[in-house]
Amino acid sequence: MTAKLPRSAIEPKNPRLNVSRSANLPHVPGIRVGPYIFLSGMGPIDPETGERNHGPIAEQIRITLANMRHMLESAGSSLERVVRVHVVLADLADMPEMERVYREFFPIEPPARTAWSMQLRFGNGCEIECVALAT
Amino acid sequence: MRKVVAAPLPGLDLRQHYGHHQSPAIRAGGLIFCSGMLPIDPQTGERLHGTLTSEAHVIFANLKLLLESAGSSLDRLVQVHALIYDSIEYDVLNRVYRQYVASGPPARTVWTAQIEAGFKVELDVIAAA
Amino acid sequence: MSSRREVIVASLFARDRASTFGPAVSTLVRGGDFLFVSGLAAVDPDSGERVRGTTASETRQILVNLKQLLEVAGSSLDKVVKVNVLLHSMLEAPNMNDVYARFFREPPPARTVCGARLPDDAKVIIECTALV
Repeated sequence: MTAKLPRSAIEPKNPRLNVSRSANLPHVPGIRVGPYIFLSGMGPIDPETGERNHGPIAEQIRITLANMRHMLESAGSSLERVVRVHVVLADLADMPEMERVYREFFPIEPPARTAWSMQLRFGNGCEIECVALAT
Repeated sequence: MRKVVAAPLPGLDLRQHYGHHQSPAIRAGGLIFCSGMLPIDPQTGERLHGTLTSEAHVIFANLKLLLESAGSSLDRLVQVHALIYDSIEYDVLNRVYRQYVASGPPARTVWTAQIEAGFKVELDVIAAA
Repeated sequence: MSSRREVIVASLFARDRASTFGPAVSTLVRGGDFLFVSGLAAVDPDSGERVRGTTASETRQILVNLKQLLEVAGSSLDKVVKVNVLLHSMLEAPNMNDVYARFFREPPPARTVCGARLPDDAKVIIECTALV
């Protein structure tokens, strides 16, 4: 029987990206458990203002993935350590644009990914979550 | 090593009741991967349709039973996918949800999805063993 | 000590392996103790073309491919711990389940099934996590 894995919450260095706290929601931005990091779904929050960006989908994807990078780096990890990504789009038609921007963030040996469309809240065009290795 | 977490009560064996080809949970690598938990009676397996609130309460009670039978607990949740049938019930979900994860909640993503049997909510979770 | 991360299978599509223009997705990635498999839609593994059929036939093609992928990685369907199934309609869940049950032996992995809007007219997408 393996020893119990340690479990702790992770937070972004930029408090404007801590939506769990700022919106008083019952989750944390991410959990580190043993060698893994599980991030909560992230949307297109402007890191300067904390406001949602509802520009073109390319911009929303770029902001969301940049925020994901920040979140992982705040925890000592990185985009290169991501193993699985879930991309949810409000509109299936945005897949090609999403793909175009997404590949900028994962240019080499990209993680596993599943992408699909669902109804999203707050008028967001995308919601992205991931699992990464902590180190 | 991959180990099955058996249903702690007969109603939680969805395979037997509904023919769903799945185990209630699998323990591996220090984590417990649970099948999507539904609002069903843990003794009888009967579907307990209700409001999103009532369904969520049943789900959390079932998860508590399942995780504790495996030596884990709701406090050890690491990731939750909260499936809801319509995003209009987001605040309702939060009101119930926060009652169960008060100290140190897990990561979460809410998915607005079509859920089986017309249920309003389902929780897909991973916990630390 | 850092955990091992490795792309084991870059793509199911022969043409993508040689290309820099395919989707930025690795089909199967190892991370620590686990193998993370991307969401798979039904594709012909030889031609790399999407195969469109019924939910049942697409489920079968996906799981045939998944078996192959896992075996390339030194794993197997028996080592799968968790499966997520996305369906274009939950009405098709029993059809998916009937096919699915033929691939996963006792005891089957944990699973969550839900309905969503799927890309590329897929009737079903299956992703999973397995032990190395």
